[in-house]
Amino acid sequence: MTKTLLEIKEFKMHFHTDKGVVKAVDGIDLSVNEGEVVGLVGESGCGKSVTSLSVMGLVPTPPGKVEAGSIQLAGRDLTRLKRREWRQVRGNEVAMIFQEPMTSLNPVFTVGSQMIEAIRQHRQVGKKEARHRAGEALREVGISRDSILDEYPHQLSGGMRQRVMIAMAMVCEPKLLIADEPTTALDVTIQAQILDLMRRLNQEKGTAILMITHDLGVVAEMCSRVVVMYAGQVVEEADVNTLFSNPKHPYTAGLLRSIPQLDKRSDRLYSIPGNVPNPRQMPTGCRFAPRCEHVQSICLDREPPLFHITTGDHTSRCWLHGTEKEDVDRDSSRDVVRS
Amino acid sequence: MLIPVLIGMSIITFSIVHAIPGDPAKAILGEKATPEAVAQLKESMGLGKPLFIQYVDYVKGILSGDLGTSFITKTSVAEEIGPYLAATMELSFAAMVIAVFFGMNLGILAAWRHNTGVDYTAMVIAIIGVSVPVFWLGLMEQWVFAQDLSWLPSNGRIDARMGFEPITNFYFIDALIQGDFVAFGDAFRHIILPAVALGTIPMAYIARMTRSSMLEVMRSDYIRTVRAKGVSEFLIIYKHTLRNAFIPILTVFGLQMGLLLGGAILTETIFSWPGIGRYVYEAINNRDYPVIQSGILIIAFIFVMINLIVDLLYAWIDPRIQYGKE
Repeated sequence: MTKTLLEIKEFKMHFHTDKGVVKAVDGIDLSVNEGEVVGLVGESGCGKSVTSLSVMGLVPTPPGKVEAGSIQLAGRDLTRLKRREWRQVRGNEVAMIFQEPMTSLNPVFTVGSQMIEAIRQHRQVGKKEARHRAGEALREVGISRDSILDEYPHQLSGGMRQRVMIAMAMVCEPKLLIADEPTTALDVTIQAQILDLMRRLNQEKGTAILMITHDLGVVAEMCSRVVVMYAGQVVEEADVNTLFSNPKHPYTAGLLRSIPQLDKRSDRLYSIPGNVPNPRQMPTGCRFAPRCEHVQSICLDREPPLFHITTGDHTSRCWLHGTEKEDVDRDSSRDVVRS
Repeated sequence: MLIPVLIGMSIITFSIVHAIPGDPAKAILGEKATPEAVAQLKESMGLGKPLFIQYVDYVKGILSGDLGTSFITKTSVAEEIGPYLAATMELSFAAMVIAVFFGMNLGILAAWRHNTGVDYTAMVIAIIGVSVPVFWLGLMEQWVFAQDLSWLPSNGRIDARMGFEPITNFYFIDALIQGDFVAFGDAFRHIILPAVALGTIPMAYIARMTRSSMLEVMRSDYIRTVRAKGVSEFLIIYKHTLRNAFIPILTVFGLQMGLLLGGAILTETIFSWPGIGRYVYEAINNRDYPVIQSGILIIAFIFVMINLIVDLLYAWIDPRIQYGKE
């Protein structure tokens, strides 16, 4: 039986700005089991990065505010942590790598000193031992030259920097690694290397990975389960094969259709019409309704809950998969209805 | 860079000094001197020669370490200027210590508590700091701390009754060399008020520059990375952010230090501080050409040197900056 490592329940992170409240994350449920690789997919601005930053406690508050819900990591509610307790979690239990390797390392300190800092933050070891461990961690990610410890970030390429970021994230052996678009800024060949590396670390060390991306190719390659987000909500969740073969939510289906395919010739690549809704003025009813080709009258009035699709743990937030009547006897705690 | 700047400075100061209306010989001999006496004196001071020759003589002198002889005191400027220079450097340095300490911490505090009452208060203090006239601040300090409260002495570098014998003319260093801690304390008490008056404007500039520079760095990706490692807020601010934010701060520091050295005349006058500002100011009144020229040249030289050091520090702070390598 696999144990749940990360469980986000009914989580809402809103931003209070001068121009109104931005509901960046508006009631999402998400779980990651130990050793699992979960993909979190969605367009820019759908709240996936805010979700990941919330798990790290890196959303600046204010303007951000946790409105409701909880984030449980190995049974502990992270939303209630104090500043000091957060520092025990970050880098130690959960680590994160970011989209921009070029700017994610401090330019004025050597790679070694930045890694040693990460180690000594959480482990009671001397400088020499920390340096040794830093070298080990860098060898793990495929950088075997010792001189790297004394090099500065600007002397490294983007791919090398992302390796350093991964080594730095893994150095305290966290249970969960959050990867926020780790390959977006890299060349395609380097992307494959970085993904290989992450998969290897997942298999060898059993580190669970929450892979945040808008690249469905990355998802197909890496993840066992996928959560699709749209406008601050989870709209569909399924294991990776089901999602690709049988997407239920029109948004997911649209995303999959917009991937170019070599075997099918078409004059124009499909794109989902319209734009992401303004987060200050979410549509009433289904948030995807204004862009949806299957839109019905109910979609504009009532917000759909997450419906269970018959096969396994496949859920979809769309009225196509259930009716209002079923909504009445829904499982109130998880906002999920069996159909 | 250094050489052309100094050559330029020497030409400019020489020209300006000679363009000042008024005749040094007349200034020395007084209104009622006969034209013959004036002409004779001018000849003996070397002022009868063409300007170009005078300039060549002046530069020759500088290159051999001779800064000329004061018309008034008849002593070598190079000898005479030492104590004044030391007094000004000591005061400027003290003012800069105050400016850097309070300015940077004020700026850091403002950036750390961005858009809160703390930030606004710090920035109001900084705006008052840049706008307050130095002479007014100096007089107020004297009035409150020297006269009303009698906490601190209002003028001079040290109590004359102590009979302190300077060696290097840097009183703090001298007091330490002699092991005279009473003198050290007294010199310290004397320097506080003028240093605060002189340091206020640079303090405010440094605070503003620190704040904006820190804010920019705090939003950067690598600070987020550091935070994601679980590093404490204190280290994030003082180690990671400050080091990256330091270059613009250092630039302001260099420029302000130069201004302090040359622009301390008001403070030196108010607090009877025997510094180079007052020395040159009196020389200007007396049309004492060699003193004016050499005084300004030395100030310019120090200014250039400080900024050279600042440039070198850039490379030390930021490994991406390298000089002389292509």
